[in-house]
Amino acid sequence: MKTLILPKEHLDFFGSVLQQFGELHGPVAHGEQFVFRRLNRWSEIRLDYTRTILPPKKYFLPPRERLFRYRRGAGWVPETADLERRIVLFGVHACDIYGLNILDQVFGGRYCDPYFATRRRHIAVIGVDCTPDEHCFCRSMRADFVSQGFDLFLQDLGDRYLTFVGTALGDDMVLATQGLFGDVTPVDIEEYKRRSAERRGAFRLEAEIRDLPEIFEMEYQSGLWEELGERCLGCGACSMVCPTCYCYDVADEVELGSGDSARTRTWDSCLFVDHALVAGGENFRASRASRVKFRFYHKQRGFVAQYGRPSCVGCGRCIEACPAGIDIIAVIARLREVDHAATC
Amino acid sequence: MTAGDRILIIDDDQDFVQALDALLGQRGYQVLHARDGHEGVLRAQREHPDLILVDVMMGERTEGFFVVQELRRVPALTGVPIFVVSAVYDAAPEFDVPPHDAWLAHDAFYRKPIDTHALLTGIRSALAKRHEAAPRKERS
Repeated sequence: MKTLILPKEHLDFFGSVLQQFGELHGPVAHGEQFVFRRLNRWSEIRLDYTRTILPPKKYFLPPRERLFRYRRGAGWVPETADLERRIVLFGVHACDIYGLNILDQVFGGRYCDPYFATRRRHIAVIGVDCTPDEHCFCRSMRADFVSQGFDLFLQDLGDRYLTFVGTALGDDMVLATQGLFGDVTPVDIEEYKRRSAERRGAFRLEAEIRDLPEIFEMEYQSGLWEELGERCLGCGACSMVCPTCYCYDVADEVELGSGDSARTRTWDSCLFVDHALVAGGENFRASRASRVKFRFYHKQRGFVAQYGRPSCVGCGRCIEACPAGIDIIAVIARLREVDHAATC
Repeated sequence: MTAGDRILIIDDDQDFVQALDALLGQRGYQVLHARDGHEGVLRAQREHPDLILVDVMMGERTEGFFVVQELRRVPALTGVPIFVVSAVYDAAPEFDVPPHDAWLAHDAFYRKPIDTHALLTGIRSALAKRHEAAPRKERS
């Protein structure tokens, strides 16, 4: 992989020139939290952010989108106007890029989702490294470093970034601003290795995921799920903030009179009471306990069976967002019967 | 030139704006002014000037770059010439990206201190092309 050095003092110029590749979006402050949104000026970007409220998934799979319209006499008309909007998403953390790579498997596999795939082709991703906080456990989920899924990735070396070029588009970005970049020196490599080791040691949360699917299998009847069901509010906040939750619902909205209609999809959550409700009134997961259990099993066991790894990337958003204080690390610790400071 | 062509100057340098206001006003142009990028974009969206002059370094040293990109995304301003003016843009030794490159999507670049003759010639030419391509409607 091509690597270069970008001095931090050049970052605002780099951001300016990047706009030829699309609208520049990045993490900005939103009260005491952070969100991804369009940058109106470079100083708005907050590359020191911990995590955004919603992951960058929202750009590729919007919370609500119209898929197509039906017009009497004209038939189905796809809604594609927004799909090819070019965006440069600057400052995405490794765990969130890992989340996008997981969504690539889901939406880009055998049954390709053209809406997701088209956006993925038109939105450039520039990653930036981060410092873990008290909710981060991406290292446990092997998502603290990515080697694909980005166009450029910036590793902080203090007054400069070690820049990994991930794609041809990333290379074009570098070529457009060639004067801003320099060659990597042995000093830079040493500094990168030192910081990489320092970052590995900064994680405070840890979960062992080897043999976890097997433990989930054996603990299927555990009383823990009923306990969690008592606490869970079924609000779905954990799903809404998750970088890899991909459940959605579709609805056809018919205009009275004209007969025209539109099909819309919106994010769904397996924690919602009607998620497994089917025609005839049967609900396969009517209890909150069964829904909480399903979510954990799908993330940590079912997804492993299908794709070879958990779909959790350890971003910590669900821990931060859960109003009932349900903590995935504590749940795993309870199942493993090992100590963990938090209650699950 | 069409009588009363309106030129929006987006610049936080009051002296420069006053000087340019006098220069352009004497030649029949109507000058609008905005003191920063945010105000400039709002004013351009609201008043649809015939030409826009944008300084690069205002509140921050790349502000004008973002303003140009923002203006280019306003459908109602399609085809409106955007001139970039700057005292430092092409003088920053570390920024080896020439102003004539396509990335900024501007129509012309003028270095401060401005060569007024060149600027007036550029304005006249750009407005003539603009009116030829899209004849101006009578303003209410």
